[in-house]
Amino acid sequence: MSSVNSCVERPRCQCALGGALITLNSIHRAAAIVHASPGCAATADAAASQGGGYWGTTANNGRATPSTNMLEREIVFGGEERLQEQIGTTLEVVDADLFGVVTGCMTDIIGDDVKAVVSKFQSEGKAVVFAETGGFKGTTSDGYDLIWQALVEQYVEKGLPRKKGLVNILGLVPTQDVFWRGNLLELRRLLEKLEVDVNTFLTPFDDLSALRRSSQAALNIVLSDTDGQRVAQRFEELHGVPHVTLPPPIGPSATERFLREIGERLEVESQRVEQLIAEECRWYYSFIEHLAELYNDQDFQRYAVIVAGCASAYALTRFVSEDLNWIPFATVVTDLVDEVQQERIRTRFEELPTELRPRLIFEADTTRIAEKVLEQVAAENDPYGEAISPAFVLASTLDRPLAAALKAGFWSVSYPVVNRVVTDQGYYGYRGGLRLATEILSVLVSNR
Amino acid sequence: MSLKTDKTVPGREERVGACIAYGGTACGIGKAGKLCLKVQERGFSQAGICQLLPTLGMLLTLPETAVIVHGAIGCGSTGFPMNISIRLHHLLRGDPNAKDSLWFSTNLTETDVVHGGEQKLERSILEVDQRYHPKSIVVLQSCTPAIIGDDFEGVIERVRDLTKTPILASSCAGFKTKVWATGYDVAFHAIVHGYIEKDPEGRPLPRATESKRERPLVNIINLASVGRPDEDEMRRLLNAIGIDALIGPNFGSRESVRAMTQADLTVSVCPTHDDYFVDYLREEYGIPSVIKEMPIGLDNTERWLVDIASHFGLQERARTLAREESARARQLASRHIQQLKGKRVFLSAGEFRALVTASLFQELGLEVIGLRSYHHDDFGTDLYARLVQSQGGKDFSIDIANFQPFELVNLLEKLKPDLFAGHIWDNVWAARAGFPTITIFRIFDYYVGYRGFYEVAKKAARVLRNSSFNAKLAQLVERGYHPEWYAESAFKYIKVRPCNEVETAAE
Repeated sequence: MSSVNSCVERPRCQCALGGALITLNSIHRAAAIVHASPGCAATADAAASQGGGYWGTTANNGRATPSTNMLEREIVFGGEERLQEQIGTTLEVVDADLFGVVTGCMTDIIGDDVKAVVSKFQSEGKAVVFAETGGFKGTTSDGYDLIWQALVEQYVEKGLPRKKGLVNILGLVPTQDVFWRGNLLELRRLLEKLEVDVNTFLTPFDDLSALRRSSQAALNIVLSDTDGQRVAQRFEELHGVPHVTLPPPIGPSATERFLREIGERLEVESQRVEQLIAEECRWYYSFIEHLAELYNDQDFQRYAVIVAGCASAYALTRFVSEDLNWIPFATVVTDLVDEVQQERIRTRFEELPTELRPRLIFEADTTRIAEKVLEQVAAENDPYGEAISPAFVLASTLDRPLAAALKAGFWSVSYPVVNRVVTDQGYYGYRGGLRLATEILSVLVSNR
Repeated sequence: MSLKTDKTVPGREERVGACIAYGGTACGIGKAGKLCLKVQERGFSQAGICQLLPTLGMLLTLPETAVIVHGAIGCGSTGFPMNISIRLHHLLRGDPNAKDSLWFSTNLTETDVVHGGEQKLERSILEVDQRYHPKSIVVLQSCTPAIIGDDFEGVIERVRDLTKTPILASSCAGFKTKVWATGYDVAFHAIVHGYIEKDPEGRPLPRATESKRERPLVNIINLASVGRPDEDEMRRLLNAIGIDALIGPNFGSRESVRAMTQADLTVSVCPTHDDYFVDYLREEYGIPSVIKEMPIGLDNTERWLVDIASHFGLQERARTLAREESARARQLASRHIQQLKGKRVFLSAGEFRALVTASLFQELGLEVIGLRSYHHDDFGTDLYARLVQSQGGKDFSIDIANFQPFELVNLLEKLKPDLFAGHIWDNVWAARAGFPTITIFRIFDYYVGYRGFYEVAKKAARVLRNSSFNAKLAQLVERGYHPEWYAESAFKYIKVRPCNEVETAAE
């Protein structure tokens, strides 16, 4: 990638500490203890709480995040004593059932023995885990993996009997996927109809006992080719839970395949799976049917330009092509991924039929994203310079200038999203697909 | 210590003896020893912010500027939320096509931590300069390069020789100070050295003493958190008594910052914000200053205006204007004031802003029952006493805290105010506890001067008419702390150091 060796313009992620912190903040009844300088938690938190469609501040996050607020004295003399004090007082004051100690750059550079400090509390039976998440260790995705590995190693119970029909869902990084709550809830809704028990972990309706007993699962479903892969591996090594990587399903076509695959893996009767697919499809089309007139009369087919993190980028591309009848022109993956990960993502896009495969661009710099897409458009040599008109851009709020340059419709669906509010919306499954279709078509009629 | 000679900006705890941990009352803080306050800290603490954040917040407002954050990839990520407000500021300033703030991260990785990040920084600055042709480049040094020992200054001075673009450099590692308001000093330091002292064209000459202006010109130091309506109100009042205003440096260009060296007087809007810069203009350009007051509330506004006017022999005009405007504002606000009489208010913001807003609420007939300041320094001391005096000697609780919402919610539970007035980010804690809130900084609204007096009255009366959202919220959300916490002293975790012990240690 062009920007690996120099600076990155407005990277669409936080640091490793940020990823770990946000993950902890999205686990109900868990609280983070940040062992770092005063601005670390505030920075990551503000980016996520605003950029995540106004996820906002609740009980134990934002300015309320317990933090050692390390200063020069701790950098010079070590911060272990301060950490020990802070964990102790946090347990006294903060009402939570799980505490995750996560560290910043300075802590990891000076080499505080966080493990030794936390072990004392663990040996007293306190629910405290730790992960070394110094910001320089990577991005939000790495932080998600690091805290999850810590949970799998230090919190999840070992040696429990396997439970048939229980699955864990991994790989959906909170706020990096702005719709993680709604997305997880739709997957749970669908799988429960197949009598599969689902641990989604990161919605307000999950509880810690499920996390604790997640080693019983028959299968881990990883929804990303990059995020959560290391977590699934660790689950397999420590608790013997096998895993499958499936791209997240948006809309009827993708969800159908997703359900069949899971059904097969968990040995659900195929008739049952087919019945669910039929019911849900009927639901989807009984609403879409009413839009067929508008869609066809007004020619709402679009050239699609999609800018998102890798899992969403693929899922969105597939949805607009398979269910919305659009032509994917370019899909930009904005994660800072290495070559191995790039190859995995490329392979994933090869599952799309050749004629509907977009130009795949790996780029994290906001200005370069626009430049590269516009270069591709220019290369089409349209006599009127409008090779992809009419176009529609599904991207981050940051990409409005790109949509303006293309005179395209625009809807923000990837981090950071600050021009709309996100609550229970999700795009996965049938309900999510219908929601996304509704939103996109609403944009197209919004000037009326 | 001065802005011109400081190589790196000293922390406010050193420069002005600022403190971030004190619990007590308004009457008590004046008696507390400064040295003892300065060293107090907490055994349980919640996330503060670091000095990099206000620095970034200010410097991102400079138009057509590229901001490079030298550090791990997360250190700049508040650039997204900051841009929301900056974008809206531009809209308010009549520029709907202003570009989003442009920022970069040098993305220091594990390898850079081992091998150093100097080359990466140097390459980044030059690349950004060539690719984007910004009007200026801001470079912020965060914690990681400061700890691994990158020669930040060295890189900056090398790069200054290689480009004609002004470089605004800030060394603002978060661990260097516990008082995040230091970040304002750091931003002013960067602006002065980038646009004036080390500007590619050199520093502007001081204005010739014999050149006379028809009307005096004063600098008004604005804040990134103060909106256009308040700037307009300040300008209106000054213009009305025959004074012209140059407002900056936030949202200003290099040229407007350089023009500030030519003014007749510098007017601070908030001493907590800009004394370092105001002193520089006085020391280097002989520009006198007014730094005691903030024009919020009727009395404060009058004092502010007369203070400025007296530099030009215009105090009588100022008094007449204040008298007229004040009478009119009171009359206009009277129907709202009726709704507010006797209500009890708790305030939370930066110290000076919280204090002057408290006096505005007193003028509206409310009683101040508590006040939280982000830090405490000498600029605020007299104002606590003034507030107690103007409510007939009734003392009130104060909490000096770099946020620390656990102390705030504890106090609110005990004090049960009718109204909470908080800076952005503070109101949520009162909201979750069920209290109606009014935001102290909202860039669309008036707070300053006579229009501000009227608008705050109107808004407070509106807010008090219906607070069902917060009331219902409070019944349903988790509070986040053990029930026992609310029975403890709110200041349980502040480690109070006996003064004799502190003084002995200092010797």
